[in-house]
Amino acid sequence: MIDMRNIKKTYQTGSISFEALKGIFVKIEKGEFISIMGPSGSGKSTLMNIIGCLDTSTEGSYYLEGQNVAGLTFDQLSTVRNRKIGFVFQNFNLLPYATTFENVELPMLYDGIKASARKERVAELLNMVGLYEWRKHRPTELSGGQQQRVAIARSLAMDPPILLADEPTGNLDSKSGEDIMKLFTRLWQDGRTILMVTHDNRIASYSQRTVHLLDGVVEN
Amino acid sequence: MKLQLLRLFRHEYKKRKKKTALITFAIGWGALSLLIMMAFGQGLSNQFRVGFEGLGVDLIMFSGGRSSQAYQGLPKGRVIRLYAQDVDMLRQYIPEIKQIGPESIVGGEITYKDKETNRTIHGVSASFQYMRSMYAQVGGRFINPDDEKYSRRVVFIGWKMAEQFFGKENPIGTRIDINRQPFTIIGIMKKKLQTGNYSGFDYDDVYVPFSTLSQVNSQKYIDMIHIQPIKRDLSKMVTQKVKEILGKKYRFDPKDEYALFSLDTIDASQQANKVFFGIEIFLAAMGALTLFIAAVGVTNLMYAVVKERTREIGVKMALGAKRRHVVFQFLLEALFIFLKGTFWGTLVAFDIVSLVREIPYNYEITNVGGYLLRPVFSVDILITFIIIMSIMVFFSGIFPALRASRLNPVDALRYE
Repeated sequence: MIDMRNIKKTYQTGSISFEALKGIFVKIEKGEFISIMGPSGSGKSTLMNIIGCLDTSTEGSYYLEGQNVAGLTFDQLSTVRNRKIGFVFQNFNLLPYATTFENVELPMLYDGIKASARKERVAELLNMVGLYEWRKHRPTELSGGQQQRVAIARSLAMDPPILLADEPTGNLDSKSGEDIMKLFTRLWQDGRTILMVTHDNRIASYSQRTVHLLDGVVEN
Repeated sequence: MKLQLLRLFRHEYKKRKKKTALITFAIGWGALSLLIMMAFGQGLSNQFRVGFEGLGVDLIMFSGGRSSQAYQGLPKGRVIRLYAQDVDMLRQYIPEIKQIGPESIVGGEITYKDKETNRTIHGVSASFQYMRSMYAQVGGRFINPDDEKYSRRVVFIGWKMAEQFFGKENPIGTRIDINRQPFTIIGIMKKKLQTGNYSGFDYDDVYVPFSTLSQVNSQKYIDMIHIQPIKRDLSKMVTQKVKEILGKKYRFDPKDEYALFSLDTIDASQQANKVFFGIEIFLAAMGALTLFIAAVGVTNLMYAVVKERTREIGVKMALGAKRRHVVFQFLLEALFIFLKGTFWGTLVAFDIVSLVREIPYNYEITNVGGYLLRPVFSVDILITFIIIMSIMVFFSGIFPALRASRLNPVDALRYE
C-alpha cells in the first residue's frame, strides 16, 4: 500500500540547509493501523505531508498503491489526495461558513460527482458518525468532538483507502478523544488503512504498531 | 458541481459584505461613469448627425462661381451662372439622380398688418422638402408640384420667423405681402436641428415655389442646384458628372473648383462621423479609466482575501481542489463584486440618461442643449460595456486567483 524508500527531505533557507528527513524506509500494508510518534522536530509532520502528497520528497521513491507519486503535477497530486487519502486534522479545519452537510460534500465536488450521489453519500456518512440531525448546522454550533466527527465523515467522502490523522485528539477532552479513537478503531476494523501522528502514548495504544521518529530517521 | 460551488461561494461572500461595500460602490461609480460617458458621446454624435440632416439628407449642392483657369481659349475670371434649364438637362443626362431641384435666393420685404421685416426669400421646388428636411408642422404643408406648376402665390415659413412674426397666433391661411405681392401661408417648418447653412438658417427664412419667384423676380439665373443621388456612395460620381456636363455647357474646366462650387454633405457627414467616433472613443476611455481605478481596488481587496483565507485554501487543496478550482473561486468572487456594483451603476446611469432626456431644448444653433441633452443607450454601447467589464473582471481577479492557486498546501495549512 505504502512503500517509501530512502526518503529524504531538505529545506533550504538561504545558504542554510536543514535535512528534516534523512532517509526513511517505511512499508505499510493494507489494513494496518499505525501511529507515528516522535518529539517535535523529529520530522513526523514532514513525513505525514509527504505520505499525504501535500509535499514531495527531495530524494527517494514513494509508491502509493503501486503508483510512483514522485514527478506528478500539482493537479495529479490533487486527484491522488482526493481519491486515495482522507485527511483528519488536529484543529478539524472545517469551512466555517459551510454547513455540516456542505463540509462533508466538499471533496466530492472536486471530483464532479453527481448531486444525487453526493446527497446519498453525505447522509450515509453523517449517519455513521451520528450527526445526521446536525447536517444544517455550522461548525461553530458544534462541540469539538462533533466537529472532529464531521471532519472524519468528510475524510471518508471519497471512500479513500488511507486515512491520515494528524493529532486527531489533540484539541479534544479525553472523553471526546476516546470517542474519536473508537471511531477510528471501527474504521480500521472495516478494512481501512490508518496512519496517525500523536505524542500521546494512550492514543497510540489504539494502533497496531508504532513508528518512532527521531531526528529524521526511523528508530528501531 | 459548479452550482454547488456557487452556493458555497455565496456563504463565503456574505461573510465579507461590509468589507466589500466600499469597493462595490467604487465599481458602481466606475460602471456609471463609463455608461454615462458612452451614452453622452453617442448622443452627441447622433445629434450632430441629425443636425447635418437638418441641412440636407444625402445632399449635394452646386452653385455657380468664377473660373480660375483659362479654358479652351477663354480667359479666367469668367462668372459662371446656372439656369433653370440646367436642372432638366442634368436630370436627363444623369440617371443616378434621385431628386433634383433649383433654388433662387433673393432678399425681400415682408409685411403683415403693421409689421414689417426683411427676410431671405427662397424659390424652391417641391422636392426640397425631402432633400433639405423641410417638413411642415401639423396643420400645414410644404410647397407641392401643383404649386409649382400653377405658380401659386403660396409661402412656407421658418418656425422662428413664424414665432417672431405671429407669436402664438396660427398663421396658416394668413395673407402676407412679400415685396408687395400677396402670398398665402401654407405651412410652418417643423423644428429641426441644423448645423450647416449657406444663406442663413432655415428657420429664419421663407420659401415660395420656384416658378412663382421667377415671375415676381427679375433675376434670370438660379443660385443653387440641389441633387440627391439614388445611393449615398454615388455622390462622388454624380458630382463628377455634373461638373463635366456643366463644364461642357458653360465651357469651364471640370477640375476648376472655383468655376462651380459643390458641397457634398454626404462626404462631409462621413468626415464628421469619423470625428464623432473619435470623440465617442475618447469619452468611453475616460469612463473606462474611472472603472479601471475601481478594478485596481478589487485586485487589492482580492489579494487581502486570498491572504486571509490562506489556510482555507490549504484545506481545500488537501481535500483535492485542483488549481483551477481555486482560480475559479476567486475569479467568481471578483465577478460577484463587479456584478453587484455594476447593477447599481447601470441602474443609476439609466435613470440619469432618461432624466436628462426629459430636459427640453430649443433648436437654435447657438444652444448647446440640442447636442448635449440627448444621451442615448444603444446595443453597441451595451456590447462595448460588457466587453470592457469582462476584461476588467478578468484582470482584476486573475492575479490574486493565480497567487491563491500557487500556494503550497503545506505552508497554507500551517498559516495562522
